[in-house]
Amino acid sequence: MSLDHTLLSNRAVRSAEIQLKTEQVSLFYGTFQALRNISLDIREKAITAIIGPSGCGKSSFLRLFNRMNDLIIGARIDGKVVIDDINIYDRDIDVVELRKRVGMVFQKPNPFPMSVFENVAFGPRRHGRINRGELEGIVERSLRQAALWDEVKDKLGQSALALSGGQQQRLCIARVLAVEPEVILMDEPCSALDPIATLRIEDLMRSLSSDYTIVIVTHNMQQAARVSDMAAFLMMEKDRAGMLVEYGPTSQLFTNPKDKRTEDYITGRFG
Amino acid sequence: MAVQTISKRELTQRTAFSLLVLATAIVAIPVLFIIIYIAVNGAGAISWEFLTQPPSQAGKAGGIFPAIVGTFFLMLGALIFSLPVGVLAGIYLTEYARDNWLTRLINMAILNLAGVPSIVYGLFGLGLFVLAMKFGMSLLAASLTLACQALAITITTSREAIIAVPREYREGSLAVGATKWQTIRHVVLPHALPGIITGAILSMSRAAGETAPILVVGAAFILPGLPTSPFDQFMALPYHLYTAAAHVPGMPKTTIWGIALVLLVVVLSFNSLAVFIRVRIRQRRFGS
Repeated sequence: MSLDHTLLSNRAVRSAEIQLKTEQVSLFYGTFQALRNISLDIREKAITAIIGPSGCGKSSFLRLFNRMNDLIIGARIDGKVVIDDINIYDRDIDVVELRKRVGMVFQKPNPFPMSVFENVAFGPRRHGRINRGELEGIVERSLRQAALWDEVKDKLGQSALALSGGQQQRLCIARVLAVEPEVILMDEPCSALDPIATLRIEDLMRSLSSDYTIVIVTHNMQQAARVSDMAAFLMMEKDRAGMLVEYGPTSQLFTNPKDKRTEDYITGRFG
Repeated sequence: MAVQTISKRELTQRTAFSLLVLATAIVAIPVLFIIIYIAVNGAGAISWEFLTQPPSQAGKAGGIFPAIVGTFFLMLGALIFSLPVGVLAGIYLTEYARDNWLTRLINMAILNLAGVPSIVYGLFGLGLFVLAMKFGMSLLAASLTLACQALAITITTSREAIIAVPREYREGSLAVGATKWQTIRHVVLPHALPGIITGAILSMSRAAGETAPILVVGAAFILPGLPTSPFDQFMALPYHLYTAAAHVPGMPKTTIWGIALVLLVVVLSFNSLAVFIRVRIRQRRFGS
């Protein structure tokens, strides 16, 4: 095996509570089926990694949880995505409320072209009247949580676009934290970052996982091994629809995969 | 031979490069020539009196102050009517309208509006604003007419500016639970603003230069004073220039060039303003 075993995370999964789950979910873009019959339970306050080859539907799967696929014309789902016994695809679900509870960090750092302060304050400002003092408190708390406060406390008024890539990504995490979500979805959050910035984000993810449920999509197998508690391996079927091959504690999936295809993938035989 | 091949490539490259320079020169030289020619011939007419006094002796003496003011009123009027409608329509068409045959038809109609001859807008304004809505030959009717013409540009540039807003910004906003309207209001519009402003100012400078539409809806060659209400007739630089050059025997040539120079300065300074605003907003956004 090419993977360095010393990297494997052996953290015990602290909680067995299920925060999120998908039940027999299929996703279609028009006539194309992107995901097929995926059922997955995601544990509270743990880091769950979604891995798999390019094009297997990892990002599409992640975007089910905050209904980001709604933005795509022709997207349609079968099955259920459940949070707190509520199917978030029910008709009467308020998508805005859902996205407050389920935040998202994207592949490419996407701070708004505004000041550092305004980026973090963006969410709270949209969610109702709030006075300056409270807002300053939220911004500081969020930036501290995102391990960015010390680097930006003297330049809160400066453009967020002047920050480095890694700082921008942590700012985007702070922006999500500011609305106090329960779940944070991360879509290849380090793929645009250098190795040092990547490690900082990973450290941050670990510290955040004591308070938040994190689901991360990653291309980087070592990253999945380093940070996640649970891992799910997705793969395409012949018609290119993504399906779940194997799901389990990360240490088990990486050292003792049950499925031949998982083993082939993590040992680098394809993908 | 290898050496020959390289020199042949070099020759091709140089030829292509020269053609590009030539093409640019063909575009740039006449423009510069026109500007310089007008400036040289018109400079003699420019004086404090010319810029601040009303005309006398059928425009042969005095100044063009009412025409300058009239032109600014027209631009302002056209802006007030076209900008809000244009931007809102741009938002609707890009963000809310479903992509169906009706939307595509409307989009095509808007693109075609920009190509409608300006005199047609004039006659439309005459029919609708002057006669049917009984605004008479007036500043209001002319502003509305020019606004209709400006709408085509304003909607098109607004749409393009809104479409150009990166998807990541919209997603970032929606992902923290902002509503669609909040996303448009706080992320999309600020980002699209330089493009929208540029389009609006360019359409204004176009409006400033239009002669044909205002000809039939209220422009006058000589008026004793400034318009006192939107229902008054008005003077405007392009129409004043046209009449002075074509219909007043014995008009001093310098005066004609002088009017042309003032009009040119008004239009060019608005275009420069558009560039300036765009650069400033961009700097402020990316600056540290």
